[in-house]
Amino acid sequence: MANKPAAKPSSPNQPAQKPVPPKSTASDEKRTFEPKYNWMNKTRQWGVRVKPGKAGLRLGDLNVGIYGETPTQWADQSRNPRGAVPRRGMPPVGYSIRDKAGLWADCAADLYEEAIQRRWAPATDVPWDTIEPLPDDVEHAVCQVCTELVGYANVDIETITGWQHQMSYGYHEVKQFLATASFDAARHYECFRKRALANGGGLGLEGPGMVNRMILESRGGWTEAVVYLLIMRGTFAMTLYKYLGRHAHNDAERFIYGHALADKARHVTYALDHLKYAMAHADDVLQVVRTLIAIGEGGLTRDLRDPVLAEALAVVFGRGVAKAAGRGMAVYGDMMRDYVATYLGYCQWLGVPRDPARLPPPLNEYANPTGAEA
Amino acid sequence: MSEAANGAERELDLGWMDRTGPWETRAEPGKYGLTIADISIGDYGDAPEVSDNLTGRARGAAARPASYRIGAYAVRSKNEIWLDNASFLYEEALQRQWSSATDVPWHTIEPLPDDVEQAECQLATFLTEVEFVAGDVPARWVSLTTPDFYEPRQVLLAQVMDESRHMDVFRKRALANGGGLMQATGATSGFVGSIDLSRDFTEMSSRLHVSGEGAVLTLFRMGELMAQNEAEKVIYRLCAQDEARHVAFGVMHLRYMSETAPERREEIHCYLDEAEGGLIGAANPVGQLTPTSESMAIILGGGKENFDDGMNKIIAIRRRQLQEYRKRVISAGFGERFENGRSRVAQMIEEAA
Repeated sequence: MANKPAAKPSSPNQPAQKPVPPKSTASDEKRTFEPKYNWMNKTRQWGVRVKPGKAGLRLGDLNVGIYGETPTQWADQSRNPRGAVPRRGMPPVGYSIRDKAGLWADCAADLYEEAIQRRWAPATDVPWDTIEPLPDDVEHAVCQVCTELVGYANVDIETITGWQHQMSYGYHEVKQFLATASFDAARHYECFRKRALANGGGLGLEGPGMVNRMILESRGGWTEAVVYLLIMRGTFAMTLYKYLGRHAHNDAERFIYGHALADKARHVTYALDHLKYAMAHADDVLQVVRTLIAIGEGGLTRDLRDPVLAEALAVVFGRGVAKAAGRGMAVYGDMMRDYVATYLGYCQWLGVPRDPARLPPPLNEYANPTGAEA
Repeated sequence: MSEAANGAERELDLGWMDRTGPWETRAEPGKYGLTIADISIGDYGDAPEVSDNLTGRARGAAARPASYRIGAYAVRSKNEIWLDNASFLYEEALQRQWSSATDVPWHTIEPLPDDVEQAECQLATFLTEVEFVAGDVPARWVSLTTPDFYEPRQVLLAQVMDESRHMDVFRKRALANGGGLMQATGATSGFVGSIDLSRDFTEMSSRLHVSGEGAVLTLFRMGELMAQNEAEKVIYRLCAQDEARHVAFGVMHLRYMSETAPERREEIHCYLDEAEGGLIGAANPVGQLTPTSESMAIILGGGKENFDDGMNKIIAIRRRQLQEYRKRVISAGFGERFENGRSRVAQMIEEAA
């Protein structure tokens, strides 16, 4: 396969080849037409002139006049752009998410533009040449962790894409942000796979999959999926990236974990904003989230009791098997305490505070910030 | 309390170190960095003909018998979705991402005569609308495809991102110059036989990538003729780059399908029959739908007073669309339809003239 990409993208401002105008035949030139113009003047608001600001012309800048009105329910089942004059009698496309409370976050438009500005390409932006051979035990551990992270990215991809097409276009900002989120996940998928295959190792053992299934089976609604995918798993992944970045073996790994962390932070930001909105605007969501969290913690702890990821992380943090049980596990403990503290903080902020003592083991064991036995 | 939590040392099992995929793999970055083609080496490069992966594990990873089944994947046969240049298209998509906020010189937009601005806004409304379908549908198919075929999935995810940007750039254009959105056409609603309702990936791809996006690509390539200012030229140029990748995906997939599943060729011809019926229809901006073709005629003619000139250009573009469609289908390996009388494209080209 000659699968090589173009060397360098052409600059957006670089002139393109001028197209050759299509030939008009002699018969074309003689033809005359009788336009109806019955589409003219059909607009709900005219005279809109949005100007680019310091950061260009952003999606959120367009929310002026009627174009910024996002109703609490979007009854239109067609692909009518928000603010356009609808065409009546169109067969419905069939969106299942038509309530604003089911997906909205005020920050979605800003996160969309931020994601585009912070785009990166694993093939060319990661300094792959900085990867040097590692001791075999460490390479095994890095590859095992990357295998798990590929699995996480896979669930991000499958979950988000499974919901995107069900969201109505009245709330296009969210759909557009989620396009960046699934594209981020695609990048994470390839990037962690690349790292596993770049340094004399290979992929490791697949994860236990309890949380994966829990996320994918969140069929009750997008909000439910957000709780599991972006709050529980997302916060955990974010914490992993943070600690893996601190214990990176080379600049390539530092770059990967740092950028994955920035991407994931956007996803979690959306999640927090959305859940806050949903709880404030829809009956019972707060109670539902409280219940989901309690159930989800059970699933999460089942995965956490599996020793593979913990041990692999301990080997990475301990820089080898020799110090994995001691120093490595101590850092793992710090990481878990960091995760639980962040997670509990998010729950508190959302208005669904958790009693640390009632978290299922082993989560409750990391709820004590000092690490001392309760 | 666990040892990790209380700081005590615990004995490690480390059995996972013996449970890996093929080991001693060392993919090397090439001239274009470390691409996904570069990591398709050894067993890691072998996508199975039929995937039995129901746990979502990465291709080549060691399976864990106790892992939960998570994927009820509808697309598990390689020939249903595969193409030979997915790695190239994906890496190119990453390299050519752009920002509609900052890469388009919005300041070059100047006020236009009202008829031209209305036409621009009608076209932008239509393009916003059709880009919706091109984002929704590939996303749905990604969620249904086993990760053993991750390369085509990656391309489709890049497409969803591209379409999202196209949606926003045309919305931005409609609201940037004293106009506004106009009336939706409804051209992409849930009609029987539409892109949405495809029950098979190749069926969807032949409608979306080959005929639908192919027609739009021809149009975007005429951007230099249609644009009123540098901002619009940049928009059409960048959108054309993206659209060309999407069309390439469809053509290359059809070619792969044609070569590896010849028993499905007749079925594919049926999809192409349907697709050809839509080539001059409502979902084509230079088709026979009044709001878009009239607005295009005003844009191409330079105003209502030159409507006939504009319409004649539209007819020429329509003819070019059909010729390019025919080339793509031939390239995909289904060219016999143009020789055995099955396709109406030759007649449509004649009629367009």
